[in-house]
Amino acid sequence: MGAMIAEPSAPAAAPVAAATTEPVVTVDGLNHFYGEGAARNQVLFDNRIEVPPGDLVVMTGPSGAGKTTLLTLIGALRSVQQGRIEVLGRDLSRLSPHGLVEIRREIGFVFQMHNLFDALSAYENVKMAMQLGHQRPDQMRRRGSEILERLGLGHRIDYKPRHLSGGERQRVAIARALVNGPRLVLADEPTAALDRDSTRKVIDLFKAMTIEHDAAIIMVTHDYRIIESADRLVHMVDGRIVSDVVLHDAMRICEFLRAIDLFRTLTPTQLTDVAEKMKKRQYAAGETIIREGEPGEEFFLISDGEVDVVRADHEVARLGRGDFFGEVALISGEPRNATVLATEPLDAFVLGKTDFQSAIETSAPFRDQLYRVYFSRH
Amino acid sequence: MAVAFPLAGRTRAHPVPLAWRTITANRWRLARSSAGIGFAVLLMLAQLGFENAFFNASLQVLRALDGDIFLQSVHKYQFATQDPLPISLLATAKAVPGVASAAPLYADWYDLFWKSPRDGKSYLVRGFAFDPKTPVFTLPDVNAGSAQLQTPGAVLTDRRARRFLGMDQDARQSEINGVKVEIVGQFALGPDFVSDGTVMMSPATFASLMHGAAGNPPGIALGVIKLASGADPNTVLKALRKALPTDIAVMTKDRLIAFERAFQADVSSAGPIFAIGTIVGFVVGMLISYQITFTEVSDQLPQYATLKAIGYPTGYLMRVVLEQAALNAAAGWIPAWLLSLGLYRLIGYIALLPMRMSPGITFISLGLTLGMCLLSAVIAVGRVIRADPAAVF
Repeated sequence: MGAMIAEPSAPAAAPVAAATTEPVVTVDGLNHFYGEGAARNQVLFDNRIEVPPGDLVVMTGPSGAGKTTLLTLIGALRSVQQGRIEVLGRDLSRLSPHGLVEIRREIGFVFQMHNLFDALSAYENVKMAMQLGHQRPDQMRRRGSEILERLGLGHRIDYKPRHLSGGERQRVAIARALVNGPRLVLADEPTAALDRDSTRKVIDLFKAMTIEHDAAIIMVTHDYRIIESADRLVHMVDGRIVSDVVLHDAMRICEFLRAIDLFRTLTPTQLTDVAEKMKKRQYAAGETIIREGEPGEEFFLISDGEVDVVRADHEVARLGRGDFFGEVALISGEPRNATVLATEPLDAFVLGKTDFQSAIETSAPFRDQLYRVYFSRH
Repeated sequence: MAVAFPLAGRTRAHPVPLAWRTITANRWRLARSSAGIGFAVLLMLAQLGFENAFFNASLQVLRALDGDIFLQSVHKYQFATQDPLPISLLATAKAVPGVASAAPLYADWYDLFWKSPRDGKSYLVRGFAFDPKTPVFTLPDVNAGSAQLQTPGAVLTDRRARRFLGMDQDARQSEINGVKVEIVGQFALGPDFVSDGTVMMSPATFASLMHGAAGNPPGIALGVIKLASGADPNTVLKALRKALPTDIAVMTKDRLIAFERAFQADVSSAGPIFAIGTIVGFVVGMLISYQITFTEVSDQLPQYATLKAIGYPTGYLMRVVLEQAALNAAAGWIPAWLLSLGLYRLIGYIALLPMRMSPGITFISLGLTLGMCLLSAVIAVGRVIRADPAAVF
């Protein structure tokens, strides 16, 4: 992750129109089990994830962590056992088998194995997917050629898979997944068989999908070339999402943290560690974020918007972008000494108590400074 | 708009012909499956051909009869049984209005022993006798040679008789029941499953061979009646039934042939034997075809699962597998049908059977081939139905 810090920070993305910010995928409280009876084995534990349009989400984690299971559940390839999955505004657990088949047509799948029909040409393999979409028959040839050309296969359109290299086959499979312009793409190691140049083309096409079509892409990969381009990095271990970092936000958090006096002494690595553990959260205008007298569980950093700090019904402070709050109760172990209200829609980065405390343990100067800040406020 | 069937509507124009492509992609494999299924088809075609030939052989002598209405004993259950009628019946029949002629056909299946010019041994043959002045067969060779039958001891022999009878040889003389006979000509009829060969002669010669002395034979096997031009067959038939005793069966030619066919099909064990032979071919074909379809399906299982994953309904995949089976059936049937034309000629030549391709055999064999391939595909398609789209990730 050190590489990320070295990168110049990207300009803040333009706000997306309200109509399209409805998440493409919402997973909530998702548990999943394999086997039955005594052999029943839980593979996913209380997963939650939300993917808005235009996000390129990369999932990493050791094999057996449940990445593929999660992907197949989101792709309506398995039935939901416990919890809720909404894809493109539809609750998967309420869909009939027919409904599940239908929703799959709106998802682009890139599988680890390309699974092309040996008997069909590259174009015909792509056409198999186009037949399920809304493409006009007289436009199919043009559209199929276009996407294959974009993936560097313009000269291979009518070749059978037998006469294509492994990388070329994989790109045909990617063309098949993307040809209908799906709003959601699920991919499992799509670049494993590709060389540097093909990978570049594939990443460009994926990125173009997110930018031009506002498509959400969830991808299992360990290919650092893709991770570099990802908007978000989800890490899974033993069936749990252990970190869900908006990469762009991680950089922003680092910038914020660096700007704050007490974080200045942290090394870039320490800073990134803290940033990665922070989760993005949104509050509506008027919503209470913390309440005076309640136990303190989290530390907050304001990304966008303003809050009022109220103590005994008197406004004591107004905090804005780059400010932080909630650290006092975590350090002192006492209940919250103030109530914090969002005065407008608020984006905040939140750090859990344990992570916050371990961050403090990381660096003595950090801790000392925090204590200084804490006592200077009193 | 719900798209229930992916290939319906807009995209119907030119969907990817997946089944066709799959079948034709690998020529070596196509050749193998074509050979496998074709083999089973050939088995069925051989059985169907044999059955047809069996009936044709039994019926061809009846088909060669030159008459409109026929008289025989009601006690006969098949043509090749001895139950002679008195010749005086013919005079009665001739008196019925609308009857132009009533000729006798004498026949014997069990008493005439022909000495083979080939090996000098005596073999049982079938003998027909008729008045050379009123021929009762449509066979041109018989009618051409009938004048020479007037000579006592003159016979015509069947050049398509089984070879051990030596009738295909150039011998001019031989013996029947120890009596010298003069071979004055030949015709082409062929054996059936009762008789190995046929000789034709005059009633006088027939009687002399049967009794060793000249005279009239005991009775006729069949009365062959021709209608006067313009006479209504049904009216004459009714009149004949009225004029003749009740133990005489009066039948049109179609009825006579149908009667014989019914005996061969139902009463004799021949019908079931050929049916069982055909079923064996069908079952062998089903096993071969199942093996082929199963392999094809198994090889493409990940691809089928992928199609399911991207939103193809199971019904589409089932259709593709059934289409493949139908194409395999066609690929097996067409060469087998062509090959059977040669096979029929060969069997016809070797076994002296009237093996002939007919529209009936063509359609039945095509139907059976499609049936066995589709039936086996229905069993094999279970794998596609159970294919787990989640397994492809």
